[in-house]
Amino acid sequence: MRHVGAIAGRELRSLFSSPVAYAVLVLFAVLAGFFFLSGVLQFQDYIVRMQAFQMAQQLEELNLNDHVIAPFIHVMSVVMLFLIPGITMGLFASEKANGTQELLLTSPITIWELVLGKFLAAASFVALLVLLLAIYPALLFWYGDPELGKTLAGLAGLLLIGVTYAAIGSFASAVTQSQLIAFFLAFVMLLVLWMLGFLADLGAAGGAVSNESFAGVLRWLSTAEHFESLVMGLADTKDLAYFAALVAGFLIVTRAAVESVRWR
Amino acid sequence: MIEARGLSKRYGELIAVEDVSFSIQPGEVVGFLGPNGAGKTTTMRMLTGFLPPTDGSVTIAGHDIFDEPLAARRAVGYLPETPPLYPEMSVEGYLTYVAKIKDVPRAQRRAAVDRALERCGLADVRRRVIGALSKGYRQRVGLAQAIVHDPSVLILDEPTVGLDPIQIREIRSLIAELARETKGDKARTVILSTHILPEVEAICRRVLILNRGRKVVDRPLAELQAGGASLEEIFARATAREPGEHAERPAPEAPSDDRTGAQESEVRS
Repeated sequence: MRHVGAIAGRELRSLFSSPVAYAVLVLFAVLAGFFFLSGVLQFQDYIVRMQAFQMAQQLEELNLNDHVIAPFIHVMSVVMLFLIPGITMGLFASEKANGTQELLLTSPITIWELVLGKFLAAASFVALLVLLLAIYPALLFWYGDPELGKTLAGLAGLLLIGVTYAAIGSFASAVTQSQLIAFFLAFVMLLVLWMLGFLADLGAAGGAVSNESFAGVLRWLSTAEHFESLVMGLADTKDLAYFAALVAGFLIVTRAAVESVRWR
Repeated sequence: MIEARGLSKRYGELIAVEDVSFSIQPGEVVGFLGPNGAGKTTTMRMLTGFLPPTDGSVTIAGHDIFDEPLAARRAVGYLPETPPLYPEMSVEGYLTYVAKIKDVPRAQRRAAVDRALERCGLADVRRRVIGALSKGYRQRVGLAQAIVHDPSVLILDEPTVGLDPIQIREIRSLIAELARETKGDKARTVILSTHILPEVEAICRRVLILNRGRKVVDRPLAELQAGGASLEEIFARATAREPGEHAERPAPEAPSDDRTGAQESEVRS
């Protein structure tokens, strides 16, 4: 496993010498700023209105964690649906297009080292995104007193779902040599996984998925459902196991996809 | 140093390489010839472990490419048809990375990169970005990448293709120098594929000609030329559409019934 660092390091350096990394960082920061600001303004608006109507009890229930930070983290997880594929699309596809795959596969490294190195690079970039994003909730600690534990749990949840997206994106990049196809394939896979829960809800309302146990399965498979409990600070081991299984599963099929060039 | 036994590669019905065997001793410089589509690149990819053969086995420096892939690959420096370069990296950064994944120990890495830069005449462009280099320089970076870990076997797939005559001369003399270098107490083994026959005459001491996936000639260059025929004539005869009337019969271990093989691949191509 000693080559993992070398592969991850090269990948990160390449990422930052292309405009893609900066485009994603800027887009992410701008969108985060926009959603954060609108969240805070809306929160302020609530307070003003509740004071005007003397709704003391509701005012008491209003808090920064549930009404600003959680919705903010939630919307940023949706933004990640299309930004993470932008980061992962080149991981393997560009090696194939460049011909550098031939260097990698004739070097004394194992395919696991290659896959883990690439995944580690993408996961590090996700961590950077989450760190960047953490600035916004951090500002709230200056002006108010949100709960630290809940905030950190939410950010950790975002990191976890982002890393899971990175594993899925790696797989999409490993099955094609076109970065564009890798991007859309990853995006579609992420979107479908995310929407399974909604599909179940639609079905429950009398659609095709009227079978309740089937709807339950769909909901269980959906990333959105598990992410929900993470953001709310209600994560249990089942949710963590769900994301860990997704990451492990997609890394295994990524490895198989990389290996498969040898058998074609 | 290199042992190929009964190498075959089939893609479904298509036969790319059929039952090719050869043995190359340390220090030999072998020219791999053949028309386009003869299976040169496929054979080289099987030697380097990039493609698994459908049948047969490869042993490099005593390591079977299947059973001990990492040890076998460590002994090989490989320049594929398109040099495997990252355009956004600097020459030095790229070679350092290759040294890492080729298991050059950390303490020797700097020296190994400096040596490769020096050998390939890249010292002046070491900090330049690869994508900004001319094609000739990129080819040199490709060669530098193949020798950075001081391999005992060098496999070069058409190293001079697409270069101008001056660049060709430079690369060719570089390869000749690399072939003269020694690795430890043993001379380096070089296999090089090319379309340019004078290149073979300039560098190689042994010629191996593939035609339609089969080995049709495998002899020392001096022996081939002793008959008075030029390499071009020999090549033309060996790769003629109708085999069976070569002046140069294949080496003893080569398949005896070329005819069926040729007809087979004709039907299939």
